[in-house]
Amino acid sequence: VTVGPVVRDEATAEFFDAAATGRFLLRRCPVGHVSEPAATQCTTCEASHLEWIEAGGGASLVSWAVSWSRPAADDEPRRTVLVIGELDEGPWWWAQLAEDLDPESAELAPGRRLRIDFQRPDNEHEWVPVFLLA
Amino acid sequence: MTPLGKVYGPTSGQFAADAVRRAVADAGLKLADVDGLLTSSGVTGGVSIDLQRDLGLINLRLLSHMQAYGSTAGGMVQFASMAVLSGMADVVACVFADSPLQPERSAGAVYGSRRAPAGWWGLLGASGVIGANPMYALAARRHMARFGTTSEQLGHIAVAQRDWAALNPAAQLRDPITLADHQASRWIVEPFHLLDCCLVSNGGIAVIVTTAERAAALAQPPVHVLGWAQSHPGRYLRRNPDFGLVSGAAIAGPAALDMARRDLADVDVVELYDCYTFTVLLTLEDYGFCPKGEGGAFVASGVLGPGGKLPLNTGGGQLSSYYMWGMTPLSEAIIQTRGQGGARQSSTHDVVLVSGNGGVLDHHSTLVLATEAGAL
Repeated sequence: VTVGPVVRDEATAEFFDAAATGRFLLRRCPVGHVSEPAATQCTTCEASHLEWIEAGGGASLVSWAVSWSRPAADDEPRRTVLVIGELDEGPWWWAQLAEDLDPESAELAPGRRLRIDFQRPDNEHEWVPVFLLA
Repeated sequence: MTPLGKVYGPTSGQFAADAVRRAVADAGLKLADVDGLLTSSGVTGGVSIDLQRDLGLINLRLLSHMQAYGSTAGGMVQFASMAVLSGMADVVACVFADSPLQPERSAGAVYGSRRAPAGWWGLLGASGVIGANPMYALAARRHMARFGTTSEQLGHIAVAQRDWAALNPAAQLRDPITLADHQASRWIVEPFHLLDCCLVSNGGIAVIVTTAERAAALAQPPVHVLGWAQSHPGRYLRRNPDFGLVSGAAIAGPAALDMARRDLADVDVVELYDCYTFTVLLTLEDYGFCPKGEGGAFVASGVLGPGGKLPLNTGGGQLSSYYMWGMTPLSEAIIQTRGQGGARQSSTHDVVLVSGNGGVLDHHSTLVLATEAGAL
């Protein structure tokens, strides 16, 4: 597990409640347009009244990058694949691809099907969305 | 400009004050002549409108702090130009300063320390998307996947700018590098090697904007501001079909040239914001120096570097000279327009195109500078 710790605030409470039960929430306006979870007004029609809806969990790969970090100076560099996934409902989401794969792998190509999953670093912090290969 | 780079001791505010004093003296003015002040700060803050008090400026007619990240420097010159054109002020000092470097502390520690532990920002950090490197890497990878752009092609930009930096006494990194060095440098966030990424610097830079009439009587060759524009696409962390493929430069560049009544063929020198090699490549495409998607082949074609057909980032840019956000391309543009570039001076420098870029390709400013006054 390589996701980091995050705590909730008022704006993210319902999102993290759902994440703890394996559900990824999005925002929907009265007309039915879907916006990203952090939206405070509809990204399509500017409506300011949004409700939470549950995403299907399917997504397509938009782009990827491979982060190399050393948690401590003497550690071996640790590889983390970060991706942008386009959720089937439309919004994009930035998260880790929690798979052990070669960054040069042909698996990484635009349009590759993904699905949302959740991880957390410990029992003290919130569940964090990650992508898996579908 | 103040001494730039690993300069320890002064605060950002002190760098800013020093930069304004130096710019005023360079222009042949006194601080008492300044009646407008625009301030901006970098990642560590510390520059504010308090600079008026620090400099003892009395009865300013224009004072504000501006922040549109890497596009701010160009934006300050734009607002200062409008202020002097309208008669609101006569002599406007525009300043940026930052002091992220500290002895015994890595630049990554400074730039990574903004991680928020709570809420949406905390969630982004917990997901591993921390700072600018991953975001720009995702943008670059999308361009690569769409158009076939390669890391080697990006390397041509790094090598050419280092060759320019070797000719710039103010540059922090002046030892030549090769494409092989670029490819062998460690990964920061793939597809970016270390040599795709800008350095980090302490220091301050200020520019003085005044009327063309007044500038003609001052100590330095005037640099005329012929055209300007901004573009802020506004889809940060949102679904964005243009992400990594087209930036605000595609709107701001042509608009600024249109205002200046110039076209790309008139441009002698180009100074582009280069937080990463990729930013340069994308801006070249968006400005129209090559067709969309062909930036990789264009930068690898031998046009860059000293002696190339396109004098681009002639001081070494933020990759190799100094990292003063939008003041890096702007300061080198002013040096080139004045004809004061020494060993790196472009023989033709009548029209100089300058970009600023901020956020993750979210904020863009363009300036068209020239040795001769325009229609304004």
